[in-house]
Amino acid sequence: MKKKIKFAIYALLGATAIVFLILGSKQNKPVAPADFTVVEYWEKWNGPEFLAMNQIVDDFNNSVGKEKKIFVRFTSMSQIDQKTLISTAAGVPPDIAGTWDQQVAQYAAIGAAMPLDELAKEHGITEDYYLPVFWKGCSYNGHLYALVSTPGTIALIYNKQIFQQCAPKLREAGLDPNSAPRTLQEFDRYAEAIDSHDKDGNIDRSGYVPLRSWYIPQLGYWFGADIVNPKTGRPELDSPAMVQAFGWVQSFAKRLGPRALMDFQNSMGNFDSPQNPFLVGKEAMDQQGPWMANYIRNNKPSLSELLVPTDKEWQLPDRKANYAWAFAPFPSAVPGQTLVSYNSFDALLIPSGARHPKEAFEFIAYVNRQDVSEKLNILQCKNCQLAHVTANFLNHHPNPYIEVFQQLAASPNAQCVPVCPIWAEVYNELIDTGQAVSLEAITPQDALKQAQTRMAERFDRFKRIEMQREELNIN
Amino acid sequence: MTREERRNFLKGMAFVSPWLVGFAAFTAVPIAMSFYYSFCDFSLTIPRRVPLWIGLENYRVLFHDIIFWKSLRNTLYYSSMALPAGMLVSLGLALMLNANVRSQTIYRTIIFLPSLVPPFASAMIWLWMFNPSMGLFNFLLDKIHLPAPDWLGERLAMPSLAFMSVWSVGNTVVIYLAGLQDVPRELLEAAEIDGAGPWHRLFAVTLPVLTPVIFFNLIMAIIGTFSILTVPYIMTSGGPAKATYFYTMFSFDQGMVYLHMGYASAIAWIQLLITLFCTVLAFWSAKKWVYYG
Repeated sequence: MKKKIKFAIYALLGATAIVFLILGSKQNKPVAPADFTVVEYWEKWNGPEFLAMNQIVDDFNNSVGKEKKIFVRFTSMSQIDQKTLISTAAGVPPDIAGTWDQQVAQYAAIGAAMPLDELAKEHGITEDYYLPVFWKGCSYNGHLYALVSTPGTIALIYNKQIFQQCAPKLREAGLDPNSAPRTLQEFDRYAEAIDSHDKDGNIDRSGYVPLRSWYIPQLGYWFGADIVNPKTGRPELDSPAMVQAFGWVQSFAKRLGPRALMDFQNSMGNFDSPQNPFLVGKEAMDQQGPWMANYIRNNKPSLSELLVPTDKEWQLPDRKANYAWAFAPFPSAVPGQTLVSYNSFDALLIPSGARHPKEAFEFIAYVNRQDVSEKLNILQCKNCQLAHVTANFLNHHPNPYIEVFQQLAASPNAQCVPVCPIWAEVYNELIDTGQAVSLEAITPQDALKQAQTRMAERFDRFKRIEMQREELNIN
Repeated sequence: MTREERRNFLKGMAFVSPWLVGFAAFTAVPIAMSFYYSFCDFSLTIPRRVPLWIGLENYRVLFHDIIFWKSLRNTLYYSSMALPAGMLVSLGLALMLNANVRSQTIYRTIIFLPSLVPPFASAMIWLWMFNPSMGLFNFLLDKIHLPAPDWLGERLAMPSLAFMSVWSVGNTVVIYLAGLQDVPRELLEAAEIDGAGPWHRLFAVTLPVLTPVIFFNLIMAIIGTFSILTVPYIMTSGGPAKATYFYTMFSFDQGMVYLHMGYASAIAWIQLLITLFCTVLAFWSAKKWVYYG
């Protein structure tokens, strides 16, 4: 009997394994028609952003691609920055890599990306077709190395409901609960009035927690800092403006307590989860891009349906009234300076050694066509990188505050990723510096001085070796 | 060598050649090349594809890099906790699992199961257990009215990771269990007849016989703790403020994220030397406490 049971268990396990092998090995890889050039396109996105871009890829394959015999094969790739570099080094890169903005200068500096000036010119894509800030972010040493797939301008998002709940306290502090803070000093007073603690001293609700922001490395922009020298690209991390910026970060730890700040940070869910503190009403203000509207709609729709369901909001005289949140420019610390923003973007670049650069650029140019760009940016809930947008884009965008982002991106105070060949390292260094000052482990001056020493040395070494290579003609 | 011997030698070499070729191509040659690259500027991509000889520059920069010292300190701190904890817990579990009790195989399976969980999955599970507001540990502490710490905060992150490492000692336990089967029964019986109690038998018979196995596990643990990467990378990414930034993370970031292959090679060679030094130290001390019968 025992033997029979054993045999039955083994037979069942064996059969399951065979079923998995047969059914699990199927791949849904799209097959390119014969005699078409296949363009391999790696993209970092998954989820809704991936599906949105997939629509664009399908549109291309069914229109321009069909006409020019180009087939784009779209693959979602995790850790795309590393994998693209390694595959480029190995001589088998994809034809298009959908990376982050901070990879553009890094890839260009080490020769991992192709210059696109000629291809862009052939397709009529010139500087004046783009908002200046995004063109600048795509360029390195006077050459164009990428184009934007979708941009993400950063602004202040605030919870109007929390502002109303705290109206008496805000009014007591001389603040208006019906509007966003206009200066950084005002911002601090809003945050302080909204903060509340439980009986154990833990943060129950915060006005703003700087450590949750993704933009600590770029925070200096709102304080008038350059972060890197605009001419040479050398890091300038210990400038007075940067010290002021990181001093501001530390001021939250001083007021709320470093431990309480860290606990709050660690206890809350990820940005894209329903436990995001902004969504659960634990954080009143944050630095975010326009995409936040999509995440709120997916994870906490009630915040975007105060009066009517989303599909009926177009009938309202003012659709913004349907929302418990609003966007406004993140205030600057520099008196008189307005509309300061950091303008991140997703970049499309062609890695060096790509087999089909011309065909790859056909797709990149297609993504940057006015109608296609607007469609993609609406699908992904982003603003638009192009110099002009249609009324249709503004009126039908899922984020009712999209004009705020367009206005910020077009402003002369719009900033993009610092053009520095070692920006990836500088970025991580500034993240650590932000954490260290938040823990009150070190003063902002000392932390930034240390960061500057390390990064300046890295930068100088990079340049020194570059010159040495040029002199010896070794590459 | 006679003709027959030469033929046999060639046949033998032919049979082991798949391994030899694999070892040469994927281990020996890359190790040798990394030693050369540690004296070069080398980024794999044009214009830095050709290694540029820069002498001891990578090593000079490394010894002046505060992150190098910080990551080294963190790794040693972690090793000083995870290594003895892992050794003691696995030995204790093996001794308990060696006892002749009912359902012994079920207990052994339960202890071994965590070793089969992929590191990514176990990191995610532990992240939730360590969560300050929703985690299991703080839930239990709250029930008994004890303060709930931030397990992955600056102060406790490293002890928490060391504590977590004990969870997957299944492989080590299996090796100890195999070693325990070799403890001569007659020695244990003789000790029992002479009036030795369980503790006395453990310290006077079982452990001395087991010392070669303990020594083997010690060497493996030294190598393992010095090369820890996956779990802390997923759980803390080296933070907060580099409090859990390990030596291998430093090497990984420099090589794979920034593509400073020459510098990363220098980092790896220093790691090899440190591990080698600790292993040699263990071998030297083994003369005093390992008994080969």
